[in-house]
Amino acid sequence: MKRIPSRWIAAASALVALAPILTTLHAARRPRYGGEVRVEMRAALRTLDPTSPAADSLGLIPAVFETLVRFDEHGDPQPGLATSWTHDAARKCWIFAARPNVVLHNGAPWSPRGGVIEVPDDRPLPKILRDLARPSSAIVVRAEDGSLVGTGPFRIARWEAEKSARLAAHDAYWAGRPFVDAIEIRMGRPLRDQELDLESGKTDVAEILVMDGRRLRQKGLAISATPPLETLALVFENSRVPDATKEALALSIDRATINNVLLQKQGEPSAALLPRWLSGYSFLFPAARNLARAKQLAVSSQPLAFAYDRQDEILRPIGDRIAVNASEAGITLRTASGAADVRLVRLPITSRDSSTALEDLAAMLKLASPASAPFETEQALLNGYRVIPIVHLPQMWAITGAVRNWPRLADVWLDAVAPGDKP
Amino acid sequence: MTFRTKLLFISSLTVAGAVALVTGAVAISARRAFERIDQTRREALLDQFRRELDARGQELARQIEQVASSPAIEQIISGTAEYDRAQTEAQSQSLDFLDVVQPDLTIISSAHWPARFGYKNDWNISPEDWKATNSFLARIPLPEGNAVALVCVRFAPGGKALVAGGKKLSPELLKSLGIAPGMRALLWLAPSELIDAQGPVANPEKLASLIADVKGSGRQSTATVQWNAQKSSSEAFLAMPLSERRQLMGVLLAGTSLREQIGLERAILWIGILVGGSGIVIGVLVGWWTTERVTHPVERLAAGARAVAAGDWSTRVEVLSHDEIGELAQAFNQMTEHLIEQRDRAIQAERVAAWRELARRLAHELKNPLFPLQITIENLQRARARSESEFDEVFRESTATLIAELSNLKTIVGRFSDFAKMPPPRFETVDLNQLVRGVMKLHEASLLAEGRPAISLSLELAAGDPRIAADSDQLRRALGNLVLNAMDAMPDGGILRVATEKIENGVRVSVADTGQGLTPEECERLFTPYYTTKHYGTGLGLAIVQSVVSDHHGKISVESEPGRGATFMIELPLTQGDNI
Repeated sequence: MKRIPSRWIAAASALVALAPILTTLHAARRPRYGGEVRVEMRAALRTLDPTSPAADSLGLIPAVFETLVRFDEHGDPQPGLATSWTHDAARKCWIFAARPNVVLHNGAPWSPRGGVIEVPDDRPLPKILRDLARPSSAIVVRAEDGSLVGTGPFRIARWEAEKSARLAAHDAYWAGRPFVDAIEIRMGRPLRDQELDLESGKTDVAEILVMDGRRLRQKGLAISATPPLETLALVFENSRVPDATKEALALSIDRATINNVLLQKQGEPSAALLPRWLSGYSFLFPAARNLARAKQLAVSSQPLAFAYDRQDEILRPIGDRIAVNASEAGITLRTASGAADVRLVRLPITSRDSSTALEDLAAMLKLASPASAPFETEQALLNGYRVIPIVHLPQMWAITGAVRNWPRLADVWLDAVAPGDKP
Repeated sequence: MTFRTKLLFISSLTVAGAVALVTGAVAISARRAFERIDQTRREALLDQFRRELDARGQELARQIEQVASSPAIEQIISGTAEYDRAQTEAQSQSLDFLDVVQPDLTIISSAHWPARFGYKNDWNISPEDWKATNSFLARIPLPEGNAVALVCVRFAPGGKALVAGGKKLSPELLKSLGIAPGMRALLWLAPSELIDAQGPVANPEKLASLIADVKGSGRQSTATVQWNAQKSSSEAFLAMPLSERRQLMGVLLAGTSLREQIGLERAILWIGILVGGSGIVIGVLVGWWTTERVTHPVERLAAGARAVAAGDWSTRVEVLSHDEIGELAQAFNQMTEHLIEQRDRAIQAERVAAWRELARRLAHELKNPLFPLQITIENLQRARARSESEFDEVFRESTATLIAELSNLKTIVGRFSDFAKMPPPRFETVDLNQLVRGVMKLHEASLLAEGRPAISLSLELAAGDPRIAADSDQLRRALGNLVLNAMDAMPDGGILRVATEKIENGVRVSVADTGQGLTPEECERLFTPYYTTKHYGTGLGLAIVQSVVSDHHGKISVESEPGRGATFMIELPLTQGDNI
């Protein structure tokens, strides 16, 4: 009998010994079904009606109500409830082919007449698609009891306005049932309470401020962040402020220090409206501080009434710092609560499409948005320093170690660790 | 003002003045005493504030030393703490201000102004402050302005950083002084920041001049401020500069309410008024009683004198005392007795003189016709011895003469009779101008008579035809006498001016001539009966005029100078009482 080499025996023994561990590791990375994710949020929503503007920081509306088309992370249009689209012979009407086998949350099939949805619109297709991808264009069916019924991966199982909600998995979702059984949401929770609830295991997901990310990581919490979805900017509300003063204020701001110290390097200092991940050209707008030039421009400038929400944990320190920076350049910013010459605001990035996002920003700022390429559009919006972008901010959450794929609600799943376990 | 009123006034004034003097003296003394006490209290308060500031400075130094050696400062210096970590440390030590700065004074973390990290601390901290054991005052920049604070600086272990902390000079500091009631301490720290123990003080501009004075001179100063319309809101202040290294950090004001002082002054004033008022009342009563005793006899004397002046010479004054007033009353009574005696003698003498004058006039008047009568009768007696024809002729002539002279005698007697029997006037409404025109019409012929030197007539009658109550016959007769007198006064011709005019409550009639005029002596005696300046007059014409005017309750006067004519003026009332 041929003798088996001992090294092979050792190797086989090692494999046998490691097999359970390797199996476990492989299983841990693979999504699993079941469980309930508990989420807390600061906003208190009255409704999930897509047509009603709401501070939907969690993306609850897209999880319940779907649009015909959507934009991916690259800003490209992708099929949603429509699988394809074409126009009629006169190019006056676009015909969207409805996705087959879509079931509404109430179990009824979603079957548009003829299997198509006609959109009479002679604008260029990109614009039509941008509009159709907005949450306000989601497909919503009003049930007999008045409730809103959608087709998304989750259905509204319970809704207590401004208090709590429960989104249950839509088993007949056309793209496949979501991994978790439900998402339990508590609304109107202060950030400090959310952090305590997370640490005490009462929630799986808690909103956090961007500047707290580093501290919470040091405490051992898992941090989930989106790409920058918000732009902090100074907006001049008084058109009589001289352009030189506006430019001086723009040049006096030390964005790097604001990001490094106040935001703990969690933001993206920029003089552009759109973040780099969305536009790709934000570096073309100079964001460096030029104090000497600012001082030159600020000579004989008048004090400006400066307003910002002092209850906002992010705006307050940044506003204070901007006032100090401006003071160094010779510009006096006096804190005001009502009407102001200049205001520090948070501008949400509403779309993954740069044109749509710019269009919405222009609408928010009440500026005319020229119909041109995004860069030229942004250049036009920023011309004259009517708006001075400061920094782009991501959304951040502290999550337990069991939560995976946060914040993509359709893909979120819970790891082997029991839901609610402390990390 | 009567003597009694004067006496009462003087006595009341004396009492009131005395009370006012006493009240004023007491009020001034009380005010000065209050001011001395308040000044002492205010100075004590300022000393107390200085001691409190020193004590708090020592406590602050201990706190800053604790903070400087705390692990948190180490974390801040090493960069492992949040940029605003100093806030937490400041809160834990109840500090209003805390800066952790590098040796070059670059702020690492600031509690009161977190956004200033990376900038230089500008509390005017000098290297000697780093080692100073005592706290000091500093003006600390803040986003909304400057604040004055008690500050202390200490090195962190290892000398890598400085810890500068401070406490704001706040109402709490003033509250801790334990100020006595009625006093308060104020701190002026900036043009718009004036605080006391309760917080910001309203109307800080009221103290602006005092603070400006202290700022300008750098010395203590005092002032009194009235906060509102009520005088009791007044407050006296002693202000002291709070300086550090010759820089004025603020002004400390020690105030004392003048409410009690003003209240006391008011009480004194009211007591003074009460006492003064009572004194005046008592003075008036006593004065009344006194003056009554003094002035009553005097008033009776005055009443007696007035009665004598009114014609009641029988008036007597009762002699009630034996003092000077009594002697005066006795003398008054003697005087009236003497006056009556003299009057009776004068009446008797005048009566005798009148009879003598009447006899003289009668003799004079009767002597003239009697002499022709005697001559005529003697002629008749002598003619009896002549022929019958001659006698008849003489008889006819003599009887004619006798009849004429007897008629003359009758006329003379009739005049005297008329004067004696002047009837009382019968008043009726008379148009004065019409009456004057009638009189002048009557004498117009005489004025224009041939062979008589020309007398021109000037009539100046009052407008509106004044009507008076008068006896037209008597008035016409009186005016006629005046006109005749005027014509007699102008034997060589002239101007006769007759005028009427309205005067207050009456009318005036003037009859003026341009004759030779009258001497003052003649003017005085002109209205005396039987006095005449004419060779053929009886002296009764003007007496009759005066009698008529007197019966009409009017008066007559004459103005004349020798060589310039004479003007007789009759003033008559419009009405005659109940007679019309």
